[in-house]
Amino acid sequence: MALLSLENVSVAYENQLILKDFNLQVEKGELISLLGPSGCGKTTTLRLIAGFLEAKQGAFLFQDKDYTRVPVNKRNFGFVFQSYALFPHLSVFDNVAFGLRLRKVKEADIVKRVGQMLEVVNLSGFEKRFPKELSGGQRQRVAIARALVIEPDLLLFDEPLSNLDANLRVNMRVEIRRIQQELGITTVYVSHDQEECFSISDKVAIMNKGVIEQLGSPAAIFKYPKTEFVARFIGFTNFLNGSERQERDGQVELKVAGHSFLIASQAGNEGRTGKKCAIRPDDLQVEAGHGSTGEPNRLNGIVKISTYLGRSYQYVVETALGNFTVNQEMDTPYQNGQQVSLVFPREKLVLVD
Amino acid sequence: MKKRYVYMLLLPGMLFLLLFMIVPILLTIGSTFFQQGSFTLAGYLHFLTDSYFLKILWTTLRVSLVTTLVCILIGFPAAYYLSKLGPRKKGILLALAIFPLLTSSVVRSFSWMVILGKKGLINTLLVAIGLTDEPLDILYTPTAMMIGLVHLFLPLIIITLVGVMENIDPDLLKAAESLGASRFTAFRKVILPLSVPGLIIGSILVFVGSLTAYTTPALLGGKQRVISTFLYQNAMTLNDWYYASVVATIMIAITFIVIGVMNKLAMKLNPKG
Repeated sequence: MALLSLENVSVAYENQLILKDFNLQVEKGELISLLGPSGCGKTTTLRLIAGFLEAKQGAFLFQDKDYTRVPVNKRNFGFVFQSYALFPHLSVFDNVAFGLRLRKVKEADIVKRVGQMLEVVNLSGFEKRFPKELSGGQRQRVAIARALVIEPDLLLFDEPLSNLDANLRVNMRVEIRRIQQELGITTVYVSHDQEECFSISDKVAIMNKGVIEQLGSPAAIFKYPKTEFVARFIGFTNFLNGSERQERDGQVELKVAGHSFLIASQAGNEGRTGKKCAIRPDDLQVEAGHGSTGEPNRLNGIVKISTYLGRSYQYVVETALGNFTVNQEMDTPYQNGQQVSLVFPREKLVLVD
Repeated sequence: MKKRYVYMLLLPGMLFLLLFMIVPILLTIGSTFFQQGSFTLAGYLHFLTDSYFLKILWTTLRVSLVTTLVCILIGFPAAYYLSKLGPRKKGILLALAIFPLLTSSVVRSFSWMVILGKKGLINTLLVAIGLTDEPLDILYTPTAMMIGLVHLFLPLIIITLVGVMENIDPDLLKAAESLGASRFTAFRKVILPLSVPGLIIGSILVFVGSLTAYTTPALLGGKQRVISTFLYQNAMTLNDWYYASVVATIMIAITFIVIGVMNKLAMKLNPKG
């Protein structure tokens, strides 16, 4: 049985349905992220779990108990806000001690536990500072310490790194992952940053319009996106819409306007019955000159746009099946208007729904 | 314009204030220490040993203090509600709240006379439903002054509090709740301390305003004097400008003491300002 379970939950905000029949299970000790564009319902889901929002329908179970109507302050969940939401009138020590004081912990124990927690987030010696005397990264760590010191049953992060600059963001996500694993605390993490989610999560749920499009390990999603939306979201820009589909010799053959594409069947890819496939610009190959037209997984075209990306060149190639984007490392780039042919490696093509 | 001349923009206003406010005030204060050309504290001694004046001083302070407290009690929840509203609703309700400030205090006071008088609205009602046999004495008492002053100054405290409360991050309340605080505790431990600056400024405005108000106490207080009406009486009825100046100086001194004390209080309650 999962630690946390949302069952057929619907949430409406100002008469607009944001989540409809939403389901999510989280296992004990894992870090799961909700990833998606703004307005996809990920923050709503998090706020629902925290208790800031009430479900119109459905149930929220936690440790097999019905938490649907349990008020925020009785849930014992730690919440880390995008704005950090540190109490500006309290020192770092008093911010972290806030939850312990409410729990009537003895002052001596408070001093000990706050001290330990500030050590965990590398902020020892900052006890007497006030939030406005801290940098963004330090505030973030105070917010995390404040949420962790109450020994929450669940830790919730709402885009915690989006107000930090790029370098700090990478450092902080490593920190968050380290603390989360050190304490073995079940965590739900919301972000719109794909790299961030993939790097720290055990599982990622990609959300779109109030629905989870795909839930799985970062590697599984990265390699085998299930739907076109997920594929686009994680960087697949090239799609082929087939009209016929055949399976033979452990591979799928897709016919696209007379052109034939072979797709290798692999673990993670199996059981997909769609007639659409996708490929990343990095996996597509481009060769000079036109190749023979009957050859499968090859498409002739001409270079329309060429962009220098530093490590590689990016080309937009116009073909009979539309435009394709391809990245290739090379010394002398193709010219605009040059005849080229695109090669779609069969093990890099991914079937999507 | 060159940057170092920007301060010149202040000049017209500063000159005006200097000529028509600061100089006259200093002259008034200065004149209280001299009688027939020699230094004296006789004026102050006269008042501070005069039980009639001390009674007026006490009434004034009491009326101002109660007015301020009532304004806080009514204004704080109202301001909190207003600060939570969307911009449209807030604009309309704030405009309504400010309305008393936009009407003449004479008109306002007369309407209170109609409401509070012996044959006024309240007394008629109380007698009619049998709560009292005789009409109550409300008009021409300190209570009437307080009612009039609360009506006048409530907008000030609401406006200043709304300004401060609007800038409190709503996530702070949620953070407090997620850490285990009930709604009420979260309010007491977060919203209340963060509202202190607005509370102090609002209280200073109301207190000093009540202390120096003239029309409202004059019309609603009847024979009951406060410092400002007493000052007027000295200057205009008794034509005693010396004593009037002494009273004015005492009033200014009290105002500054109040502001000083309130600021100290603010520093103490909110070390980070």
